[in-house]
Amino acid sequence: MSLSFRCRHSYPGGFVLDATLETNHRVTAVFGPSGSGKTTLLGLIAGFLRPQQGRIVLDDRLLVDTPSGLVLPPEKRQIGYVFQEHLLFPHLTVEGNLRYGQRHRRGGRPMVWERVVEVLEIGPLLCRYPKSLSGGERQRVALGRALLSGPRLLLMDEPLASLDAPLKARILAYLDRIVAQWEIPTLFVTHSQAEVRRLAQWVVVLDAGRIVTAGSPDDALSRPEPLGWKNATGPRNLLRLDDVQFGNDETLGHVGSQAIHMPPLPAPAAMPVFVEFSPADVTLSRQDIPGLSARNHLQGRVCRLVELDQAVFVAVDIGQILWAEVTPQAAAELQLASGVEVTCLLKAHSLQVVG
Amino acid sequence: MPHWSLLTPEETTALWLSFRVSFVAAWLGLPVAIAIGYFLARTRFPGKWLVETAIDLPLVLPPVVTGYLLLVLFSTSGPLGGPLESWFGVKIVFTWLAAALAALVVSFPLMVRAIRLAFQGVDPRLELAARSLGANRIATFATVSLPLAGRGVIAGWMLAFARSLGEFGATIMVAGNIEGRTRTIPLAIYTFANRPGGGMSDCWRLVGLSIVLGAAALVASELLERRQMRHES
Repeated sequence: MSLSFRCRHSYPGGFVLDATLETNHRVTAVFGPSGSGKTTLLGLIAGFLRPQQGRIVLDDRLLVDTPSGLVLPPEKRQIGYVFQEHLLFPHLTVEGNLRYGQRHRRGGRPMVWERVVEVLEIGPLLCRYPKSLSGGERQRVALGRALLSGPRLLLMDEPLASLDAPLKARILAYLDRIVAQWEIPTLFVTHSQAEVRRLAQWVVVLDAGRIVTAGSPDDALSRPEPLGWKNATGPRNLLRLDDVQFGNDETLGHVGSQAIHMPPLPAPAAMPVFVEFSPADVTLSRQDIPGLSARNHLQGRVCRLVELDQAVFVAVDIGQILWAEVTPQAAAELQLASGVEVTCLLKAHSLQVVG
Repeated sequence: MPHWSLLTPEETTALWLSFRVSFVAAWLGLPVAIAIGYFLARTRFPGKWLVETAIDLPLVLPPVVTGYLLLVLFSTSGPLGGPLESWFGVKIVFTWLAAALAALVVSFPLMVRAIRLAFQGVDPRLELAARSLGANRIATFATVSLPLAGRGVIAGWMLAFARSLGEFGATIMVAGNIEGRTRTIPLAIYTFANRPGGGMSDCWRLVGLSIVLGAAALVASELLERRQMRHES
């Protein structure tokens, strides 16, 4: 699958989406805070919105090309759309909803009804009406309905946003199954870093109608621009390590000239190596204090402070951006501000290596 | 028919004629009202208020004026009546067709209103969902929009039917008051009441019937619209 998107769409209210993106990955995430234009972007790809200027190509098919006046209607695009509110047809049973997609399928890949029902475990729900379904059940039916229309591309608008944590995990498992079973290219929008990391191979970060950055999730989300801190769970740290040496007692990596000590690892094949850790695991100090059990002492300069709820997230430039979470009181006591030199203390065991 | 022995033959004739006129008026208006109602519910364009005003005008115009305009348009020498008669041999004015035409025009705004409201209650994103599943505009309308607005559409039909049953002013202008041909219930009541010698007391059966029919139609359409709301939630 390859999707090439270049559109400009402005609303009478003043909001402008002006974005260019290319992806040929199985699962692509569009990440950004609410109001950044994520749903507009999906609407343009699906054909619900008509861009003032733009060109959209899916595989070899031209979907939109405003200079030549081409704007395919949604029904001719073969793009499945899973709405955040599911939007099942209230006057049809679950089976009627599923058959709807199947009945109107235009080419695309043929989907086996039984497989879809089985993978999404919809069987027991077939005779029921959407009104009587729980949120998770609706989500599965909406997924099944979109799948049965044989889409070339599946769009999902915040597929997990309306679900609580245990349900999220279950729907994630279903999404994994779908990706594994049918290999349908998927593009979903989310404001959760965890969902990006969990599902996507490629992420496009959107803010105020513009693409801020794009890349693999590990890469793109570790840059300071992605505004990951707007998410209530705060940023996750992900450092890219160079010059990794695998020893018996410990593993040694480098960020620039600074050494990172990690627990011993069986030599991983995949390079580069990333380590992940929570900002809460980072201790900040104004002086480098010797004689501590923490193995990692990383020197850096504060480049940004973000207050969020009861915490202050401090971005420290140690060659890469590292986030530390401290209390507002600690931030005041240490007189943390942009440009201040700090030492980041990290236990070797709080580092998790990700391939 | 013993059941109808409650009514005199003259009253029975007026009742059936009223039903026929109202049925024809409501059915002829329905497709147009659905098209216009859907259009008004889903689009915004400059000058929309002008279209809305034109449709609603018969609601506030004296029915006699509506009747007068219809008479001018559809008389055998009129711009519409002339061609109709010379090309198709159809004569409208002073036939029951004229009564149906008058009922149609006068009840049309009510029907459009109810149907438009019904379509406004259908989430347009459900239509987008149907389109994304491969249904074209017409299929989407037929399988999603119309079924979801169905009760409201029926309610609109019933309102128009009830209004048609009661149409008087425009009817008497364009269709006259010919017994057995254009004398509907309201015209019959008017005629009875004007008969010398106790005519007023002959009216009560038709008056009562009118109240019952009108109330039934209102209650039915109200119930349908309420169930529509519950359906949506």
